[in-house]
Amino acid sequence: MFTQFFGNYLLRKQLVSPEQLSEALQLQKNTRLKLGVLAINAGLMTADQVERAHDRQQRADKRIGDVMVEMGFLTKDQVEELLKTQPTGHLLLGQTLVDKGYMTNAQFENALKDYKEENSLSDSDINDANEIAAKKLVAGFYKISGGEDSDHAVNYVSLIFKNLIRFIGDDFTPMDPFALSEPIRNVVLQNISGSINMTTLIYAEKTALIAFASRFAKEELSDDGEYTQACVSEFINLHNGLFAVNLSNDTGKELQLEPQNYYETMDVNGLSKACVVPVNYPFGTINFVIAM
Amino acid sequence: MKIMICDDSMFVRKKMKDAVIAAAPEAEVVEAFDGQQAVEKYKEEKPDLIFMDIIMPVKNGVEALTEIMAIDKTAKVVMASSVGTQENLKQAILAGAYDFLQKPIENDDVAKIISKAIK
Repeated sequence: MFTQFFGNYLLRKQLVSPEQLSEALQLQKNTRLKLGVLAINAGLMTADQVERAHDRQQRADKRIGDVMVEMGFLTKDQVEELLKTQPTGHLLLGQTLVDKGYMTNAQFENALKDYKEENSLSDSDINDANEIAAKKLVAGFYKISGGEDSDHAVNYVSLIFKNLIRFIGDDFTPMDPFALSEPIRNVVLQNISGSINMTTLIYAEKTALIAFASRFAKEELSDDGEYTQACVSEFINLHNGLFAVNLSNDTGKELQLEPQNYYETMDVNGLSKACVVPVNYPFGTINFVIAM
Repeated sequence: MKIMICDDSMFVRKKMKDAVIAAAPEAEVVEAFDGQQAVEKYKEEKPDLIFMDIIMPVKNGVEALTEIMAIDKTAKVVMASSVGTQENLKQAILAGAYDFLQKPIENDDVAKIISKAIK
């Protein structure tokens, strides 16, 4: 989940354009991590040292690891350790952006360092896919703090991202949240009652909704008819159901979910306290709305 | 063998039907889209196995399960829901559910339940 929030950071700092980020998120699956990026991430080399090693390698026709050892930047053991590193998402994203020429190694290194500092994140927070780190990212990004409702909000939003990665794909960027002010279109709504009373919605432009439903259903859908609406409805039902199961298992609290409804347009007067969590995919923006 | 799928979502009914046919190609599949229809179709069709959603309009899955068990206490009703909370599991067991399936539906889980039910 760190990759997605880091992508948003790169956008906000205008280090990459939305188009470049979207392209890199799609390409990263086929990217191979290079030793330089791994060494920078591990804090063993600076971007400048990596550039110098690459310059030397181009003239020497040797393996990059051997050059780095010769230049005294790494030991042989460190090279071996680094090559065993499992590729984590944000490194693949960084490597893809560097390979495409959208960023330099130094820009990526600085952005990663600044982002970690601004959000008080440790290396293990960003390298381990653990629950606590994910919730920390969500709480920091959406500035949610204090109280039981806040815990529920953090858990709810963290689970949205987890379920998006699981059921739709990891090539998304969370965008800044906002409040609803104008009527919304193409909406699926599900109310939750019990220990927590919530209204939850998903809405999007038709083309984005169809693409979202296609990925969820694992079949190509071509219109926004009843079947597409049923797919999106099932996603929200599945997500809310898993939220209810987690809450029940962790705290013994029970929630009741009501049947979902689809609306072509919806007035938002009754949703003044609602928070919109927009998520950008290459196919468009999907908006998740939570009103507690 | 006759299997009834009861879910208000046409998407879930399709995915469930695909899973049932993959596991038991010879099975006859009957569909219902709410709890009320499930009870009515149960009386007409007498399916050997039922996959029943919980959250449905008109009559929910647990109410439908209770009515079907009152008609035939040997009915095999599998609750298939995204909301496998402690309370829902308890209610389903107390009402006589044969098994519980947590959504999202996995074809393997459907196949295991079918093979257990037809033994």
